[in-house]
Amino acid sequence: MSFLLRCPHCGDRSVYEFRFGGEVKPRPAPGASEEEWVNYAYNRTNSAGVQTEWCYHRSGCRQWIKAVRNTRTNEVLETFYPEENAR
Amino acid sequence: MSRFFFDGEPIEAQPGDTVASALYRAGRRIFTRSFKYHRPRGLLCLSGHCPNCMMNVDGVPNVRACVTPAREGMRVRHQNAWPSLEQDWLSAAQHFDSLMPVGWYYKTLTHPSAWHVAEPWIRKVAGLGDPPPPDAPPREYEHAFLQAEVAVVGGGPSGIAAAFEAASGGAQVILIDDQPEPGGHLRYTRPGEAPASIAQLRGQPNVELLARAYCFGLYEGGLLGVLQADPHPGAHERLVHLRAKRVVVATGAYEVPLLFENNDLPGILLSGGARRLLFLHRIVPGRRCVIVGIGARAEDLASDLRGAGIEIVSLISPDEVLGAVGSTRVEGLRFRGGSVTCDLIVVCGPLLPDAGLLSQAGARLAWSAAHGAFLPADLPPHVTAVGRVTGSGLEPAVPLPPGEVRAGKRHFVCLCSDVTSQDLVDGISEGFEHIETLKRYTTATMGPCQGRMCQLPAIGICARETGRTMGETGTTTARPPSPSVTLGALAGPRHHPVRRTPMHYQHEALGAVWLDMGAWKRPRYYRTAESSEERRCVQGEYQAVRERAGMIDVSTLGKLEVRGRDAGRLLDKVYTNRFSDLRPGRVRYCVICDDAGIMLDDGTISSIADDHYFLTTTTGNLEFVEQWLEWWLAGTGWDVHITNLTGGLAAVNLAGPQARDVLAGLTGLDVSAKAFPYMACRQALVADIPAILLRIGFVGETGWEIHVPAESGEDLWKALLEAGKAFGIRAFGVEAQRLLRLEKQHVIVGVDTDALTSPYEADMAWVVKLEKNDFIGKAALSRAAGDPREQLVGFVMQEDGVPDDGSAVVMDGRPAGRVTSSRFSPREGRAIGLAWVPAGLAGEGAEIRVRVQGRPLLARVTRRPFYDPEGARLRM
Repeated sequence: MSFLLRCPHCGDRSVYEFRFGGEVKPRPAPGASEEEWVNYAYNRTNSAGVQTEWCYHRSGCRQWIKAVRNTRTNEVLETFYPEENAR
Repeated sequence: MSRFFFDGEPIEAQPGDTVASALYRAGRRIFTRSFKYHRPRGLLCLSGHCPNCMMNVDGVPNVRACVTPAREGMRVRHQNAWPSLEQDWLSAAQHFDSLMPVGWYYKTLTHPSAWHVAEPWIRKVAGLGDPPPPDAPPREYEHAFLQAEVAVVGGGPSGIAAAFEAASGGAQVILIDDQPEPGGHLRYTRPGEAPASIAQLRGQPNVELLARAYCFGLYEGGLLGVLQADPHPGAHERLVHLRAKRVVVATGAYEVPLLFENNDLPGILLSGGARRLLFLHRIVPGRRCVIVGIGARAEDLASDLRGAGIEIVSLISPDEVLGAVGSTRVEGLRFRGGSVTCDLIVVCGPLLPDAGLLSQAGARLAWSAAHGAFLPADLPPHVTAVGRVTGSGLEPAVPLPPGEVRAGKRHFVCLCSDVTSQDLVDGISEGFEHIETLKRYTTATMGPCQGRMCQLPAIGICARETGRTMGETGTTTARPPSPSVTLGALAGPRHHPVRRTPMHYQHEALGAVWLDMGAWKRPRYYRTAESSEERRCVQGEYQAVRERAGMIDVSTLGKLEVRGRDAGRLLDKVYTNRFSDLRPGRVRYCVICDDAGIMLDDGTISSIADDHYFLTTTTGNLEFVEQWLEWWLAGTGWDVHITNLTGGLAAVNLAGPQARDVLAGLTGLDVSAKAFPYMACRQALVADIPAILLRIGFVGETGWEIHVPAESGEDLWKALLEAGKAFGIRAFGVEAQRLLRLEKQHVIVGVDTDALTSPYEADMAWVVKLEKNDFIGKAALSRAAGDPREQLVGFVMQEDGVPDDGSAVVMDGRPAGRVTSSRFSPREGRAIGLAWVPAGLAGEGAEIRVRVQGRPLLARVTRRPFYDPEGARLRM
């Protein structure tokens, strides 16, 4: 792993400056079923392909961003700030 | 002229000499003994590729002497031979080669005990250098991070041209060359004819030349791993992380040996090695020479060697050669239809593209019979290749197709680990027909040369024995790092960051014994004039806190400020208890869980104003907590600002029955129990320093956690010590704190809890407010609220003995739980602690057995704090 990630604030940076925050998953509503909660807390999609994931720019602006990355090739298609009112 | 030492003997070196060339000039011909058979080996390639000249230089093992500049005072030692390179008793090993066929250790040492007996002997006989002893003086290594628009790997004619072209177009260029001077093979094939472009290149301001540097890895994202030797007198090696938009690989070609009997004898040189000796070092390597080679290359070589006064006895085609004659050095050559005597054999071996980097980067290697080599194809988009690495100008060095396979026990394919062509044929006949399995079984291509010298002959033998073409047989996989990199260079500078609190030197003056907590240094305990024994010092500190007053530096606690209209809303969401109703001036203990209900951290939250909170976290979890809060904030659009104040604040916890008297003397604030009750916070001047005071009690006594600006930490510390003198105050360390809190059964998250602990299991149901609307962990915790399977409980030993942290709780002779913390309690007169036990054993007064030094000793469960269970002293 040595690809570059474009931070919306800092520009192209080595992926080692970021903390990986896992795939983006919608959090179930408070009254959701046990199955939904278990799935959210313990299961990962582990996509072989394009996934949206959280990244924290630890050695830079110290902000959470989202990245759309192909997990097979490490090609980063897009990076952006989390959408307003997304959670 | 300089002088260095080889095995203690002084050796003269001329300017431009390497360690190997100076030794050769001084008459040395045997440079190493081989890995398995201890056969004598001499200089072969002189280009840093083969394993034949690896020596110990100034304590560093496996240094290639042929590319290491000789320097005044160097200490060079031989490796893997006893007692000397000339008289190596271990060379007896080659008489037992029939006992050691390929893979013999897999077949004979099948029983574990046999391996254990044999292993030390094998390690002694077979192997490379010894690691430096632990007391060897350390070497300095450094890392550098560079960027370029274009990185050119290789300073030969093609690399220079590519760098010049890119630089002329205005690009920022870094040129990496492993030689002391650029020029590549021209330096020894056309000496004195250095291309004019070298001078032009040096004049370009936008070109940086890294000399004596090699690229060992071409990684994704245009990252090159580069190792530079002797970057400056203060550093032994520098590892450069070079990021380039475009990479031009101009690594050229390297020469490999041919296969014939005794092809490893000293006195057999590759043509490049002979030329380097002649033209770079002005050494004439022999008198009577046989050249093995064909075509114009062999003719050119013959004329160059003649020019140096060497008699060319014969020029023989490779497929005519049978074997070299000699025991410790070349005495002649046998070929079809005759033999000659000579003292030098120069081999025009195959020139192969040095395409390892391209292969690492994802290029395919395709066999080309016209070039007699595997050529790189399908390069990744940002990588180009120029010059001989592409195959340009290369032609087969042996007539193709090759004649019959030369299987023999003295035909060395792999010089690194003494693998012969017979070994490969045997391995194939045993079923290892795939080049990758053949490699793993025979270890050919797995030695220090990383397959450079032996890959082509190994593939050739595999192809012919299995009736496949070279292309069908294919190559083994190229992986970084290649060439190899020292561990020191990877590890980098010997610099361990240390964090010291603002009061560090006060602790030092008080006799602190240090404890490392992450990067922090914290006093474990303080030595006193009476004693430096830990148990007695800790007991003294403990008594001061319980009976009078004590103070501990808690500056390492994480400290965060959370401000904004929605600050309370965020804290309500992230922490398990409620904060939006926390009135200004009040403090609450807090716990963070994740959505699986696992306890992640604890701390305190103080409300300074309705939109302003002051948080503390555990020492090790600050960064995590800050990122966790920011994460749950991200994308909400809420008005919250989180500021990390940890480095900006110093903090002292003042505790004990007389702590109030100590504090009252330093502040105008009313610190009476009525005006400043338990779990309250205030802002005031303490010793004229602006402070935030929290009335909390981790150690179970009346106490205040006082936070002040870091630059005033030392002043606060001294003022408290001074004011407390009359009351017998003592500074206490982490060890006394742990004992004090254990008597209160206060848990330390991460010590007493683990990655599966919920607040219910930790006996802290009171921190979870399930009636809250929603918070992180609510769904999981509402389901976990029922009956936990395990429980964290307190215990008192009923027999003598203090269990170690981590000791097993046993039930019917089987482990059923474990001790997380245990200390001898002066108050109870025996050991107390916290332990995980099955729910069935968690009742008050239940008997458990704790393994102490192998014996299951009786202990009794208690879930009431040992000290002041009602918390009256905290509220006083």
